[in-house]
Amino acid sequence: MPMAIVNLVFGGIVGAVLWPFRTLSPWAGMVAVSFLTALLMLEVYKLTSNQAAIRRAKDLIKAHLYEMRLYKDDMRITLGAQRAILKANLSYLAANLKPLAVMIVPLVLILAQLSVWYDRAPLRPGQETLVKARLEGTADPVGAGLDLEVPPGLEITAPAVRIPDLHEVVWRIKAVAPGSGRLTVRSGGTALGKAVVVGDGPLRRVSAIASRGSFSKRVLYPGEGPLPAGSPVRSIEILYPAGRLAAFGLNVHWLIAYLVLSIVFGFAFKGVFKVEI
Amino acid sequence: MMKPGRLVAATLLVICALAAPLPAYIGPGAGFAFLSSFLVFFLTFLLAVFSLIAWPFRFLWRAVRGQRAYRKGPIEQVVVLGLDGMEPTLAEKFMAEGKLPNLARLRKEGSYARLRTTTPAISPVAWSSFTTGTEPSKHNIFDFLSRDPRTYLPDLSSARIGRPKRTLALGRYLIPLSKPEIRGMRKSVPFWKILGDKGIASTILRVPVTFPPDKFKGHMLSGMCAPDLKGSQGTFAFFTEDAEMVRRHEGGVAVLVQRQGDVIRTELSGPEDSLLRRPVEIRLPLTITIDAKAGGAWLALKGHPWFFLREKTFSPWTPVVFKAGLGAKIRGTCRFRIASLGPKFQMYATPLNIDPDKPALPISQPFIYAVYLAKLLGRYITLGEANDTWALNEGALDEAAFLELTYANHAEWEGMLQNALAKTPRGLVAIVFETTDSIQHMFFRYLDKAHPALRAAPARMSPAVIEDLYKKMDDLVGRVAAGLGPKGALFVMSDHGFKSFRRGVNLNAWLHQNGYLSLVEGRTASGEWFKDVDWDRTRAYGLGLGGLYLNLKGREARGTVAPGEEAKALKAEISRKLLALKDVANGPAAVTHVYDRDAVYAGPYKDNAPDLIIGYNEGYRASWDGVTGVVGGAVIEDNPKAWSGDHCIDPALVPGVLFSSLKLKRTDPSIMDVAPTVLELFGIAPPPHMDGRSLVDAGTPAGPAQVKGQGR
Repeated sequence: MPMAIVNLVFGGIVGAVLWPFRTLSPWAGMVAVSFLTALLMLEVYKLTSNQAAIRRAKDLIKAHLYEMRLYKDDMRITLGAQRAILKANLSYLAANLKPLAVMIVPLVLILAQLSVWYDRAPLRPGQETLVKARLEGTADPVGAGLDLEVPPGLEITAPAVRIPDLHEVVWRIKAVAPGSGRLTVRSGGTALGKAVVVGDGPLRRVSAIASRGSFSKRVLYPGEGPLPAGSPVRSIEILYPAGRLAAFGLNVHWLIAYLVLSIVFGFAFKGVFKVEI
Repeated sequence: MMKPGRLVAATLLVICALAAPLPAYIGPGAGFAFLSSFLVFFLTFLLAVFSLIAWPFRFLWRAVRGQRAYRKGPIEQVVVLGLDGMEPTLAEKFMAEGKLPNLARLRKEGSYARLRTTTPAISPVAWSSFTTGTEPSKHNIFDFLSRDPRTYLPDLSSARIGRPKRTLALGRYLIPLSKPEIRGMRKSVPFWKILGDKGIASTILRVPVTFPPDKFKGHMLSGMCAPDLKGSQGTFAFFTEDAEMVRRHEGGVAVLVQRQGDVIRTELSGPEDSLLRRPVEIRLPLTITIDAKAGGAWLALKGHPWFFLREKTFSPWTPVVFKAGLGAKIRGTCRFRIASLGPKFQMYATPLNIDPDKPALPISQPFIYAVYLAKLLGRYITLGEANDTWALNEGALDEAAFLELTYANHAEWEGMLQNALAKTPRGLVAIVFETTDSIQHMFFRYLDKAHPALRAAPARMSPAVIEDLYKKMDDLVGRVAAGLGPKGALFVMSDHGFKSFRRGVNLNAWLHQNGYLSLVEGRTASGEWFKDVDWDRTRAYGLGLGGLYLNLKGREARGTVAPGEEAKALKAEISRKLLALKDVANGPAAVTHVYDRDAVYAGPYKDNAPDLIIGYNEGYRASWDGVTGVVGGAVIEDNPKAWSGDHCIDPALVPGVLFSSLKLKRTDPSIMDVAPTVLELFGIAPPPHMDGRSLVDAGTPAGPAQVKGQGR
């Protein structure tokens, strides 16, 4: 339950930030989120880091780089300077551990929410894909008697394929018309729902997996609520196509785009926040 | 089998190298850190590879130039510790009492002599003679001040800082199209340049008259005469609610402040905005919020983070940024000290030093050397006249605070020295500590119970202030001697000695009373810088700490004395009368010697020297008013200031000291002899233009005495 609240809060924040950009290029939302994250992290970094230690370590690194330039004729000093640089760099990394430990929690949650928006693209009308139901290791997919029901706008194009070795049941579905809804996997008397999205908007919230798995899965796949217990189904996954962030004809992975942009914004605004990085 | 230490180092290296990809998973904060770290590793690696590839070529080059030079001399490392103003009689007394064991050992196992100083015995003059091995008329430094004969106004003798020659006027701005003029006035060749040309490394720290720094193959940090951010030789500031203190201040910037509740809003006076056609002073708003319960105040300079400063405590070096026109920033650094939170608030701020982390002017050779020291050791004082003697004179600092600040500066220089010694195991390391000079100037009255300043204000500190100073310097000598290698030589020297300064002689008042200097009609006295002097009826005037100039036709703008016989006769007449000047009837002579420049100088810059140089007797010196061109008042008067010791007297009365770990061949050395001696020790023949003579035989000191230090 607490995790559901956390996901609700973070999902709401990220959704609210991206909401104005949903009809624009996906880059617009990515820039906005990266910018806001960078500012947030700068402040967190400032409050949680030992700024004096970071400044000192950086000064020492620069000093010994100058030293190599000033005493370039003396191999003894040059090697000593390199040793000192490595030592100062370790101090710098050590000084970063505390802020990193603090920042990693919100960042993982933000990244998980961003993955819902950027990792997968909705099915386009006419596009086919697979729906996979993964079962418990002890369950037999042949005897489990799973059935799939799809909402309007989707149709099942091939009957279920049961793979005992993988404990999976797989269906092929086809998107027919734009819209969103829930498909249902029936297992005995239990109905398990999974959100599904068909459309061609530039930025849509797409949850690929519904799971009743571990805490880590709840953190990493926050797109929808957990599957109920009491059935042999551990997760239901729709194999959506990968999300696209195109730049100069290249497809950029959203995580790289986010990393680069947030670092650029961080460096650009560190002076405004008066924070030593 | 890999040693455990190396294994740990290798493991750490691998961990650090592998740490770089992590940011992809933990966001921008980690990204900042690890990206920077990765770049550092990458750059270090590149530099290491480059160093390794380049090293054989450098080795060959050094073999051709440098190493051969080292092979020529019997010595590989020379260390010169300059202790500005160390007085031989005091050093000898304390050695006799067993209080200076390291200097005593140097004397016993090496050499010791009183060191003849220059005429006049003033630090910039004497240290320039040390630097060049020449007498003053060859290096062109004759005082702190020189004068412009067209205006009779003073100039700084050591350097000229002027506006850029080419500018572009754009509205209210003047855009520089060339660098500002920064010109050193010291002539001749510093001996470390000769060493550098022969491939011998030098690190020169804070030797006076090294601003702008010499261009040579070595490292240098400028010393005495390097300006502050305002372009002055040190303008401190004090903020006070005491209107009387502001009214009677003579030096520094005095700011009368008002408290509203616990808050004082004021401004820090900065440099001029030289980008403006009509430059105006840039001021930085300063808010002081007094927190009496916490025993201090919060200081906020606009654009800088707040910091808390406890009463009677110095702040660390605080960077300050003044925003000039067109987005330009002028960076300085200063320290603050709250002398009193109440009932009347009082706070001192050091002069605005050039920030060594981002120098606004060149203060080192190469330029990055100052930055390197700042990054390695932390920010440090860059002002030439580092120790704020005038703030103590004015009461902006008390004696304890002055000593604390002075020894803090000294500690910074010691850090630089230790670094230089470690980095220059072969070559020359020379440093001048002005600590000895400053503390003796301000505390000499403690050794002189008859000093007038003690009548004005009784002694508050221990009378052993100067003895403690000498002991600290002896400790320093011990530490340096302990690190000296078998082929190292140590020289400990001072540029002059020290004597009590009880009575001031106003040379201009004397010239006026004796008819050599006239005032405009109706005036009986003149303000500073000869404000009311009638130059058309004036034949001579005094400027600086010992200089007397004739008002010479063809040289001075309104000269009255013909060059040649008339000038010669006038000099003889003035000299004769000055030598007869008695303090009181049948009292001691105020002047023991008057030096005629034509008799003591023979170099190419002799014409820039004062016509006569006054050698005051022990206990006397040029008065405070006389130095600044004030005419009037008594000719000889008490010196009631804390500045109670001095050396600007007859040079024969204030020799310096010279200790050496080597046996020297002469017992009457001069400060000009040090440069040729060092050259000789490195196997380089001193150039003929040097007036000094080597104190060792060419190439063969019989091996340096092994003098090791003793910690206290």
